[in-house]
Amino acid sequence: MLQQSAKRMGHAAIVLVIVAIITFTLMRLIPGDPVLIMLGGEYSPEVYAKLKTQLGFDRSVVYQFFVWAQNLVGGDLGYSYIAHERVSKILSDTIPVTIQLSICSLIVAILIGIPAGVLSALGRNSWLDYLGMSFAIFGQSLPSFWLGILLIWIFGVQLSLFPTMGYISIREEFWKGLYHMVLPSITLGSFYAGMIARITRSSLIDVLDQDYIKMARAKGVRKRVVVSRHAMRNVLIPITTITGLQLGMLLAGAVMTETVFQLPGMGRLVATSILNREYQVVQACILIIAIMFIGVNLVVDLLYTLLNPKMRRA
Amino acid sequence: MHEEGYKKRLADLLAMDFNRRAFLKGVALTGFSVVGGSVFGTDFVRPSPAMAQAAAKRGGTLRVAWLSSVDFLDPHYTAVTAGVQMCGNIYNGLLKITYDGKRVEFKPDLAETWEMPNDRTHVFHLHKGVKFHDGSECDASVIKWNLERVKAKESASPHAWKLALLDNIEVLDKHTVRLNYSKPYAFFPVAMNGTTGRAGTVVSRQAVEKFGKAIARNPVGTGPFKFVEWVENDRIVIARFPDYFEKGLPYLDRVEAKLMTEASSAVAAIITGEIDGLTTIPFQFAKQLRANPKINVYTQVGGNYLFLGMNCAKPPFNDLKLRQAVSFCIDRKAVIDQLLFGEGIPAHGPISPPMSDFFEPDWSKGNNGQYFDLDKAKALMRESKYPNGVECDYVAAATYTGELAGAQRNAEILQGMLAKIGVKANIKPFERAAYRKTLIDGNFNLFDYYWAFDLDPDETIYPELHSGESWNWGKWNNPEFDKLVEDARVTLDVKKRKEYYGKANRLVADQAPYAVIAHVNEFKVFGKHVKNFNPIPAELVNLGDVWIDKG
Repeated sequence: MLQQSAKRMGHAAIVLVIVAIITFTLMRLIPGDPVLIMLGGEYSPEVYAKLKTQLGFDRSVVYQFFVWAQNLVGGDLGYSYIAHERVSKILSDTIPVTIQLSICSLIVAILIGIPAGVLSALGRNSWLDYLGMSFAIFGQSLPSFWLGILLIWIFGVQLSLFPTMGYISIREEFWKGLYHMVLPSITLGSFYAGMIARITRSSLIDVLDQDYIKMARAKGVRKRVVVSRHAMRNVLIPITTITGLQLGMLLAGAVMTETVFQLPGMGRLVATSILNREYQVVQACILIIAIMFIGVNLVVDLLYTLLNPKMRRA
Repeated sequence: MHEEGYKKRLADLLAMDFNRRAFLKGVALTGFSVVGGSVFGTDFVRPSPAMAQAAAKRGGTLRVAWLSSVDFLDPHYTAVTAGVQMCGNIYNGLLKITYDGKRVEFKPDLAETWEMPNDRTHVFHLHKGVKFHDGSECDASVIKWNLERVKAKESASPHAWKLALLDNIEVLDKHTVRLNYSKPYAFFPVAMNGTTGRAGTVVSRQAVEKFGKAIARNPVGTGPFKFVEWVENDRIVIARFPDYFEKGLPYLDRVEAKLMTEASSAVAAIITGEIDGLTTIPFQFAKQLRANPKINVYTQVGGNYLFLGMNCAKPPFNDLKLRQAVSFCIDRKAVIDQLLFGEGIPAHGPISPPMSDFFEPDWSKGNNGQYFDLDKAKALMRESKYPNGVECDYVAAATYTGELAGAQRNAEILQGMLAKIGVKANIKPFERAAYRKTLIDGNFNLFDYYWAFDLDPDETIYPELHSGESWNWGKWNNPEFDKLVEDARVTLDVKKRKEYYGKANRLVADQAPYAVIAHVNEFKVFGKHVKNFNPIPAELVNLGDVWIDKG
C-alpha cells in the first residue's frame, strides 16, 4: 500500500512539472503583450520600456522560468501586477468559491443523473426512457451560459423565485449560501447530469443482463433489492470514474457559469488573467487545478478499492 | 487684460451648451432629476445643496453594477472609463466638472478660488483643513508634489502629456499654489479636473510613500468616499468619509460596485431590485429598461465618435480618393439602427455636440463633411487607383456584450457596406491584447474604434490624428492639420479656437483618415428610489450627492 502511494506521488510530481513547463511556455507563445495591456489606451514608447523593465520581462524566458520555479518551491506563488496583490491571497479568495460551486453542481448532477438513468434503464424503451434520455441530451447540448441566462430570466426575474446573482459562502451563511447556489448549480450541473444519466442507463442495462442478476431474480429476490444491492454496486464503478474526471473539468470549466452569475471563482479568474496576460496568476491557477485534479483521481482510486473487492490487494 | 477677463474667457471657452431638443430627438428621456431643457440661455435651475439636503435621507448602501473592468484606482495611471468613474468618488482635483442639465463648466473643487493673473499663470487658493482618508493634510505642498509625480519621467504616467507645457509650480503659502505655463494652454481645465483629467487629481503623498505603486489597489484621496476593499473580479466597496470637506456629504453610507462583465445578468438584477444602478448598458436593453416603471435611464449624446479608421501609411488606403470613397459609402443611419439600436446621431466630422463652442449644428447635417452618398462613393472609386475594387484586412477584437470599440459586430456591418463599392474587407478577429498590439504595430488596413468621454476637441482629435502621436494608429500625416490643432491648443481666444477647429474638422472630413460614423448615446441607469443622480456627459458616475429613498 505504501509503495503504491509513493509511486503515485512520484507520478503526480512528474505530471505537475510537465504541466508547469507547458503552461509557462504556452502563455508566452500567445501573441499579445502584458505590458501593453496594463497600459491600456494610454500607451507611449517611454512608458512601455519603463514598465517592461520593472516587470522583469526583458530577461530571457528560461531565466524567468527558473526564478518562478524557485519561488514556487519556496511557497511563493507569485505576484499579480495588475491586482497589486500576492497570487496566494487572490487564490485564497477564489478557490473556496469554485470548490463550493463544483461540489454543489456535482451533487445536483448526481441527484438528477443517477435516478434519471436508473428509471430510464428500468423502463427501457418506454416513455420514461425517452423522457429521461431527452432531458439528458438536452442537458448536454445546451451551452451553459445560455442555460444560465435562461434560468435567471425565468426563475429570477419573471417568477422571482431565486436570486439572479452573487455568491455567499456556505461556511458563513449556510441556507442563504445554498439559496444562491441553486441556479448556478443547475446550470453547471446539467451537462454532467445528462452525462451521468446516460452512463448510468447503459451500465445498468449491461449489468441487468448479467447471469448473476438473472440468478438472483430466479432465486426470488425482489427486483428493487436486486437493483439496489446487486446491480448498483457495479454500475457505480464506471460512474465514479467519470465523475472523478468530470470534477476536474468542473473546476476548470466553470467560466461561463461564474460570469453569468457573478461568482468570483477560479474559472473567471483564469479567463480574465489570460486575457490580461497575467502570467503568474494563470500559471499558479493551472497548477492548482492540476493538483486538485490529481487529488480527486487519487480519491476515485481509493473509492474503487472500496467498491470493487477485486481491486483490493491483500 | 485684467485677470477676471482671462478666467472668464477660459471658463466660457470650455463651458458647453446642450441643446437637448435638437440632439435628443426621438430618444425618450425619463426621469431627469435636474430641470434644464426648458430653460434656455438663462440662469439654470438646480436644487441647491440646501434644498437637496432638506429632502435628502442619509444612510443606506448603494449597489451598482460596474459594467466594464477597472484597471487601477491610481488616477495618475488609470486609463479606462470604469477606473475614472470609480476614482471620481474617491479623489478630488483642483477643478471639477459640473453640469446643470444645460451647461458643462469647470469649477474649483479642492481650490476655493481660481485666478489667472495672465494667460499663462493659474493661482489656486485651497480650502483650509482638507484631509485625506488617512488623516494627512492636503495643502499646497501636496498639490505640488502630485503634479510633479505626474510629470516625472520616472513615474511613466500616461497623463504626463497634459502637463507638458507646465513649467513650474510655486508654493506661495500653505494654502496657495501657483502654476506657471510656458504658453497659454486651452486644455488646462480639462487636464486639471479631478475625474477625466487625472493629471490634476490629488492623491495622498503619505499613502504613496507607504504603498508605492500598490496605491492602485489601496487608493487614498480626499473624496466623499473612502476605499474599503477590492475583491478581485467581484466587487469594490467604498464607504462614507466622515471628514469630507464638503460638509453634509455624502448621504450614502456605502457603495458596493459589483464588477460584472455580463450585461444581461446585470439587467436582470436591476429589474429584480438586487442592484440599484448600472454604469452603462448595451444599446439593445435601453428600450426595455426605459419601459420599466421602476427605473430611470439617463440618456444623452456623449462627447464621442465612432469611426472606421484607415491605415494611411501603406496601400491601399494611402490613396486619398479611395479613402474618400469609403467615407461616402457608409450608410450612417443604417449603422445607427443596426449596431446602436437607434441610440445615436450621424457624425459628419469628429467634433461632437457636447463640445458646443466648436460643434456646428448647421454644418453637421445634410451634405456637409462626410455623409452617405453611394453614387458619389462609386464615382470616387472610379477616380481612385482601384477602380475595379480592392481587397484588404479589417482587424476586429473579441469583446464583451456592449463594448463598442473594435467589436466584430461593427466589422460585419461595415463589411457589407464596403463591398458595395468594391472594397473587399477580410475580417481578422483578435482577442483584446493581440488587437491592441496589431493597431500599435500598424499591421492592418482597416479598423474601427470609438473615442469617448471627451469634452474638448483637443482631446478628441489631437492625440488621435496629429502626426507622430501615440494614438494615431493609422499614421495620418497632414502638416496643415498639425498646425491647426497645435495653434488651437495654445490660444485662449474662443473665436480663434473655433476657427482653427472648424478648419481641422473640415480637413479631417475631406482627407478622410477616418470615416466618422456616429455620435453615440451614453446611458446611466438607476432605480427610481435613487435620488439626485446628476449625469455628467463624460461617462461620470459621481455618487457624492446621491441618496436613497427607501420610503
